[in-house]
Amino acid sequence: MKRLAESMWQRPSLWEWWVPLAWLAALLGMVLAIPWLEDVFRQIAPNSRSVIYQRNAFLTLVVNHMAIVGVASLVAIIAGVGAAVMVTRSWGRDFLPLVAQLASMGQTFPPVAVLALSVPMLGFGTEPTIVALVLYGLLPIVRNTLVGLQGIDADVLEAARGMGMSGGQVLWQVEFPLALTVIVAGIRTSVTINIATAAIGSTIGAKTLGEPIIAGIVNGNTAYILQGALLIALLALCVDSAFERVSRHL
Amino acid sequence: MIELQEVSKVFGRERAVDGISLTVANGELCVLVGTSGCGKSTTLRMINRLIEHSAGQILIDGRQIRSFNEQVLRRRIGYAIQNTGLFPHWSVARNIGLVPRLLKWMPARIDVRVTELMELLGLDPAVFAEKMPAQLSGGQAQRVGVARALAADPDILLMDEPFGALDPITRETLQDELLRLQSRLRKTIVFVTHDMDEALKLADRIVVMSQGRIVQQGTPQALLREPANGFVESLLGGADRGLKQAGLTRVAARMQPLGTSRPSRSDPSVGIDDSLRLALSLMLWHHCESLTVVDGTGRPVGTLSLHDLLKAAP
Repeated sequence: MKRLAESMWQRPSLWEWWVPLAWLAALLGMVLAIPWLEDVFRQIAPNSRSVIYQRNAFLTLVVNHMAIVGVASLVAIIAGVGAAVMVTRSWGRDFLPLVAQLASMGQTFPPVAVLALSVPMLGFGTEPTIVALVLYGLLPIVRNTLVGLQGIDADVLEAARGMGMSGGQVLWQVEFPLALTVIVAGIRTSVTINIATAAIGSTIGAKTLGEPIIAGIVNGNTAYILQGALLIALLALCVDSAFERVSRHL
Repeated sequence: MIELQEVSKVFGRERAVDGISLTVANGELCVLVGTSGCGKSTTLRMINRLIEHSAGQILIDGRQIRSFNEQVLRRRIGYAIQNTGLFPHWSVARNIGLVPRLLKWMPARIDVRVTELMELLGLDPAVFAEKMPAQLSGGQAQRVGVARALAADPDILLMDEPFGALDPITRETLQDELLRLQSRLRKTIVFVTHDMDEALKLADRIVVMSQGRIVQQGTPQALLREPANGFVESLLGGADRGLKQAGLTRVAARMQPLGTSRPSRSDPSVGIDDSLRLALSLMLWHHCESLTVVDGTGRPVGTLSLHDLLKAAP
C-alpha cells in the first residue's frame, strides 16, 4: 500500500521499463537479424536446401501471433472475469461449482484436441485457434479472479454494504481494487501460456510463429524449428516482464 | 425513533429472532446484550436491512424500513462493526469521507467534515489523514471506524461489538469516549455486545436477549436490582452484582457534605465523580473506614464513610 502511494507520486519513467524494453529490442533485433544469419543456421542444418524460413516474413508472423493471442486473451479476460464476478454475487452463487468445473475442464482439454474439434465447425485458420486459446486461457483467469474476490475480508464487504454502497460501487471501488493483484497475476499466466500455445494453431493453418516450427518438423529442418522457438521465447519473455512491471504498480 | 414490532427472522428452520418488540427512543443508547447466537447481531442488522426480517415490522421515525430504498436507508444510518471493516486500499481520510461521497457532497464540504470528525475522535488530521488502515493501531482503527459511521451526521448509529477486539485499556478509553460523544451528539444508538460490564457502563437501557427472545429490558440499575431470572443474574455476574451496582453509583450520591461532617487529614481522598466501587476499593486498600471526597480541583467537598457506602439506595 505504501508503495502504491509512493509510486503515484513518482514520475513514471521509461527507465523502470528497461527489462521489458530490452526483451522487445532483442525480439525485434532477432526478427531483423535472422535473414542475415544464414551462415550460423547453416551450421545447425547443414543438409537442408534453405536454412532461413521464407514463406512469411518473421515480422508478419510476430504481429499475427500477437494479434491472435491478444484477441483470445481479451475474450478470455472478459469472459473469465465476468463469470467469476457473476458467481460471487449473491444471485449467482449457485453456479459457482459449475463455472469452477468448466474452467478446469478447459485446462485439462489438450489444445490440439480443441483445434481438431473446432475445425469442422469453424474451418481452418485463425478462428478455431482463437477459440482454443480462449478456452485454454480461461482457467487461470477464472481461478485467480475467484481467489482474489473470495479472499477479501468479509468485514470490509459487510462495512461497504452497511455504509450504503450499491452492488456496482462495492465491485468497482472495493472488490476489484483489492483483488487486482491476484487477477492480474492470473491474466499474466494465461497470456504467457497462450503465447506458447498459439504456435499449435499453425497445424491448422493459422499464421503464427508456430509455422516455421511445423515446417521444420515436417521437413526435418532444425534451423526452422530454432527460428520459430527463439522468437516465441523472446515474445513470451517480453510480455511476461511487461506484466511483472505492471503488477509492481498495483 | 426505532420501533420493532413482533419482529422475527427465520434462517431455514431456525428462528434466529423470535417475535421481539422493542422501541428505542431518540437520543437513547440502547445496548443489546446476550451470549453468542442469541440473535442480538441479527436484530441489529435487520434495522439497516443487511438482513431482511421475515415477519413483523420495523419502523424508523414511524416509517416502514421496507419503504426506503436499501442504500438510501443505510446512508442515513451510521454503522460500526467489530473489526472496523476499513477499506485497506483507502487512506483514513478517504475512509471517513465514504458516506458523504456516496451522498454526493461537494469535495470541500467533505474535507471540512472529515477534519472535524478526526478532531472529534482525537485523531490529529495532520498525522492521520493520509495514513493507510494497516498503519493504525487497533484503537486508532476503531476511532476511524466510528468517525466513518458518524460522517454524514446520521440520527441513528448501529454498533456491532465495536470494541470487542480491543485490549481492556483501549476498550475502556473508547467506551469513555463514546459516552463523551453521546452526551454531546445525542444520537439514537443501538449497541450490541456480549460484555455485560460494557453494557452496564454505556447503556441508558439494556435489552437482554436469549435464544432470539428478549428476556428482560430496563436501566442498568433496574436490572441489577431485580434480574428477571437466573440467566440474567448469571450474565450480571451472580454474587458480583453488589460490586457492579457500586460501579454504577457516584460517590456524590452517598457522601456527607462538608457542613455536616469534618474530613480527617489522614483519610485518603476520592473524587466526587468516582464510583462507589472505587471508593470501596480505596477503603480496602488503605484499611480505613472513611474517605475525603474532593472535587475536580482537589478541594475537599465532603466525606464518605463505610457506613454511608453501605446504606441502601434512597
